[in-house]
Amino acid sequence: MAGIADFLDSLIGGFALICYCFAVGSLFWGVFVLRPWHRDVGYTPALLERTVKLLYLGGFALAGAQAFKIVLKIWLMTAVLQKWPFPEFADTTQFIGGVIRATLTLVLAGYCYFVLNKNPYSKQCWQTACLVALPMIISGAWLVHAAGRFDNPAQLMALTVIHQLAAAAWIGGVFHLVNIWLMRSQQKIPDHLWPTLLKRFSVFGMVSVGVILSTGLPMAFQYIDSWNGFIGTGYGNLLTVKIILLGLALGLAWLNKTSVQAYYRTHNSHTLTRRLPYYIEAESLVLVTLLFTAASLASQPPAIDIPNLTATWQEVVNMFAPQIPRIASPTHQALIAGEAGRVAIIGQVPSEAATAWSDYNHNIAGIFLTSMSFFAMLSYLRVPASLSFLERYLGYCTRYWPVGFVGLGIFLFFRSDAETWPLGPIGFWESTFNNGEVLQHRIATLLVFVLGVLELIARMPNKQNSYWPYFFPILAAFGGLMLLTHSHVGFQAKSAFLIQVGHTLMGIFSLILACGRWLELKLDSPGKNIAGFVSVAALFQIGIILMFYREPLY
Amino acid sequence: MKKLALLLLCCACQQPQLAHAHAVVTDHSLKIQPIHANAAETVTLDFNSKIELGLSQVFLVSKGDQLSPLLLSKGKLPGQMAIAVPALSPGDYALKMKVFAADGHLTEDVIHFTVSP
Repeated sequence: MAGIADFLDSLIGGFALICYCFAVGSLFWGVFVLRPWHRDVGYTPALLERTVKLLYLGGFALAGAQAFKIVLKIWLMTAVLQKWPFPEFADTTQFIGGVIRATLTLVLAGYCYFVLNKNPYSKQCWQTACLVALPMIISGAWLVHAAGRFDNPAQLMALTVIHQLAAAAWIGGVFHLVNIWLMRSQQKIPDHLWPTLLKRFSVFGMVSVGVILSTGLPMAFQYIDSWNGFIGTGYGNLLTVKIILLGLALGLAWLNKTSVQAYYRTHNSHTLTRRLPYYIEAESLVLVTLLFTAASLASQPPAIDIPNLTATWQEVVNMFAPQIPRIASPTHQALIAGEAGRVAIIGQVPSEAATAWSDYNHNIAGIFLTSMSFFAMLSYLRVPASLSFLERYLGYCTRYWPVGFVGLGIFLFFRSDAETWPLGPIGFWESTFNNGEVLQHRIATLLVFVLGVLELIARMPNKQNSYWPYFFPILAAFGGLMLLTHSHVGFQAKSAFLIQVGHTLMGIFSLILACGRWLELKLDSPGKNIAGFVSVAALFQIGIILMFYREPLY
Repeated sequence: MKKLALLLLCCACQQPQLAHAHAVVTDHSLKIQPIHANAAETVTLDFNSKIELGLSQVFLVSKGDQLSPLLLSKGKLPGQMAIAVPALSPGDYALKMKVFAADGHLTEDVIHFTVSP
């Protein structure tokens, strides 16, 4: 069962950060944006009830996530060390700090549930909630990466906590904007609150992003001491992903800001009600992914600590160099024959067959995706009347291209982990639950297959106005998350990084695929078509990366 | 209520130990002090962060991937681990470690070495 524990361990960090954003972000939202003690603004009891509810639900979930983290550690250690980790584990900071933080979070959530919930208009209650939150926020400093440094730990711990606070303020605020829009759609708040709160949050968001950057930069310089460390390590790579995601989110935030400014200038609410809510939803998706990336970053050794394991920029670029895809696979017998030598510790012999097997899998998957996305892109082109006969022939391909996902899912099921069932000697359940990497491959395979089936159903003529089309962006975003948190075991650190660098780039494109499709479903023309095309173009890029993929020999 | 907040703040600040980041070996004594045949030696490993010794394991890997657990103790420097390696006959060996960093990350690593006659 170590595989499940390992996989859950990689996800629980991101989930805890989301809960943190709900709990702490709601406090900031209440105190700095909403300011409910100003009754003349027109807040309804339903709005305040929902705001406080998000706060305490986030708090309770964070306490649960913190406790579950401890349980996962115990589970993982028992599986890996083959022994019960107590009493030693009880003396570690992870255990003591984790229990204290879970308790403090529970106190905050309890206060908000029992007191603030009943007095949501009281300024004093909001201020007290902030005071109760303070120890919980500070206690987090002992559980972050920075606390482990031998150099400047106190300074780095303080920077990390402020960085997290600013991120929670911004991301939590964006979550609340989604909530405000939903409540407005349900007619639970007056219409004028939507532009008012958007305008207030605009200033607040800019300050938060300023704090995120001013605390993030000094930390980056402490953990990464060279350009090579930035380009050639897992830490630098995930930081790059964070910067790209931040750029994407800020791009959407800029669209929001200009829409609000335009509204106050022209009083035309079209963009404010027909486009902006969906930009904010897409921004939320990007920010959730950013949180999972931040959690993954915490499990990477800082670049400054591994100068001898750093890849050069030439090695990184070489991972993306165009080359003829491998369309012939080594036999399964050749692969299995090389496995004993490959996994040996003494006298290890790199397996050409294992590398070729993996290259073939990735390259064929790339051919699947580029073909599918090519037809998908064609569907956005206007065919001249003289070529309308082509449209008749290509119609099925451009409409039902997601059938390729079904084929890809079946292909991956047989090929992903050749040493396990159905091709290899290790049983299905044994391999799935004892190896985190195999588990992730199984989930990815299922995801691809289900994605294809659901999107095919969504494209049936009678299903287009149903909820079916929304499964695609949600599952694509989850796929992106898995790519960003995907781990490769059994590799040397440098090889693992070189594999990671391709997977993280695909994770970013998966997110663009998800956001683009989401916006295509929600926006009106011409944004709808632009977003849709960008979405399938991102899928095409994933296909290209896979088609040229070459695994380091190991 | 303010007293309660102050009390909680104090609790948060009174955690007994510091957590530490993902542990990687930054240096080891085998680089400058190879192991000689038929003589017990102590190997030191330097990590980039503090490690939980009681929750870490190091195995000697000999020919045929035979694993034998080794005795660990704290080194002289912060983040240092001392490993008692028994007398070995000439050949290729490795140290396979499962190290629990104080930040809760479990790291596995292998260091290869050769014992010359």
